[in-house]
Amino acid sequence: MFDILSSLLKYIFITIMYLFIFGVIRLIYLDIKSASAQKFQIIKNTPYLKLINIRESFDFKIEEIYPIVKDVDIGRAVKNGISIRDPYMSSKHAKIISEGGKYYIKDYGSTNGTFVNGKPVKNASQALNDGDKIRIGQVDLLFVMA
Amino acid sequence: MLSLLSIKRPINMLILTNILSFGLLFFFKKPYDNMVLLEGFMVTALFCVTYFIIIKKNMGDEYLFLVVSMLTSLGVLMIHRLDGALGLKQIMWLVIGISLFFLSYFIYLKIKIWDRLMIYYFLASIFLFLFTFIFGSNINGSRNWIYIGGFSLQPSEVIKILFVMIIACYYKNSEQLIYKTKQRELYWNIDKRLVRNKIVFFAMVYSNIGFLLLQKEWGTALLMFLICFMVLYVFEDDKKLILLNAAAAAFGALFGCMFVHHIKIRVDMWLDPWIDASGKGYQITQSLFAIGAGGFFGSGIGMGKPYLIPEVKTDFIFSAICEELGMFGGIAVILLYFIMVYRGFKITLYIKDRFKKLVSLGITIMFGVQTFIIIGGVIKLIPLTGITLPFISYGGSSLTTGFIALGLLQALSKECYSGEEAILNGEE
Repeated sequence: MFDILSSLLKYIFITIMYLFIFGVIRLIYLDIKSASAQKFQIIKNTPYLKLINIRESFDFKIEEIYPIVKDVDIGRAVKNGISIRDPYMSSKHAKIISEGGKYYIKDYGSTNGTFVNGKPVKNASQALNDGDKIRIGQVDLLFVMA
Repeated sequence: MLSLLSIKRPINMLILTNILSFGLLFFFKKPYDNMVLLEGFMVTALFCVTYFIIIKKNMGDEYLFLVVSMLTSLGVLMIHRLDGALGLKQIMWLVIGISLFFLSYFIYLKIKIWDRLMIYYFLASIFLFLFTFIFGSNINGSRNWIYIGGFSLQPSEVIKILFVMIIACYYKNSEQLIYKTKQRELYWNIDKRLVRNKIVFFAMVYSNIGFLLLQKEWGTALLMFLICFMVLYVFEDDKKLILLNAAAAAFGALFGCMFVHHIKIRVDMWLDPWIDASGKGYQITQSLFAIGAGGFFGSGIGMGKPYLIPEVKTDFIFSAICEELGMFGGIAVILLYFIMVYRGFKITLYIKDRFKKLVSLGITIMFGVQTFIIIGGVIKLIPLTGITLPFISYGGSSLTTGFIALGLLQALSKECYSGEEAILNGEE
């Protein structure tokens, strides 16, 4: 009685174990897919900074796209909203301010300065328009409005 | 009933496995034991309740616990098949383990100063080592167990976690400082200070490993060295240091192979166990026979002879699984460990804080390397060592410390996933 049950059950056991593994992997895959889909959905409605340089040419970690939802600091320190470990950036380098649909950039008195379309940004807020090229440290970013 | 078979929720597969395995165990021995059904119900209920608590309370990554519970169910099944009394004990340790899992999760989240307690971790591990030296009993050649009132305890399991924390505390700043010295010394003394800190750190690491070698616990010593080496590889900027460590390890291993009697026997039996198949090579040859006798689908639970392997409930449990559930069963177990280590690495990659990244990396490496060492030893891929298969082997200390480490990993995953959610919602 037990023998028959056991011999039958060994196939069932193995099937169930593989179905379990398959189920877990499928759930993980769906999770990853929905997470990346959500990320791009946000980009459609908000402005973002797009990296112009080639990402692999840097030896620090940097993203292709930085969405800008509210005021965000840019710099080397981890506390910043956009933290880029570029040795040519100051800890708190610049700030992008969002005020009623208009965007401004402000430099924090950084060592190497911030440049918009080649011209240096002074310590006051400067208006940002769609298509402006921002240079911070070694990084060139394109400001894109939705 | 049919919805139970849906793979859309893997928890159903887990419930089904438990129902079938405990149902089978019920018919195993002639006087049908009702206790088995009760135990089965308890285990299944425990896993379901814990899984739903983790999901409802958003306690981080839910796949970790799912995979671990499948592994533990398999372990309970095999141990119960081998020895009913030990099966009950394993279930008891499982209950304690899961409560410790929740406890370590909450305690980790409450206390914020984990990264400043480096010297306490080190003192605690030294204390545990001395405790084992004085009060420990000698089992199977290694002096690693302490008997307290009928229960055996293995302090080296706890020391593994403390070791991970020590390494994490050291690498948490990129300057790798242990002492903070006054500001004015910064300018001319900086090289000496870094070197001094490095020496102190490596003294801590190698004293831990040294104590284990003195206790003849080759497996755990190898495990700790590999954890340290891999974290070094990821976080250390100075390549020469990595090479120095690798060279020291190679030299130590060679020295051990040639001059230390125990290691020499293990390596000889790894290279050719058939010379002394009934003596020193008995364990590994029996294990190979068992794996071979299983075939692809196994001989069926209760139909094989896994009890012929010595130490089958602790170190060689994987051979027993291969015999009764076949090659496919063994491969399924390895895949489950893969998924667990994958989730661990994913959590590590997403964490922003350096100290937490280090802790989760250390715990993931601990699980992965331990699994590799013992499965490799059992199938004669590498020489045999005496460590346990996490979550499957019988053993109170092994199971409970496994769950504590899992609780830490779960707590770390909560921070990383809630951070990710915030980004997705457009906040920072």
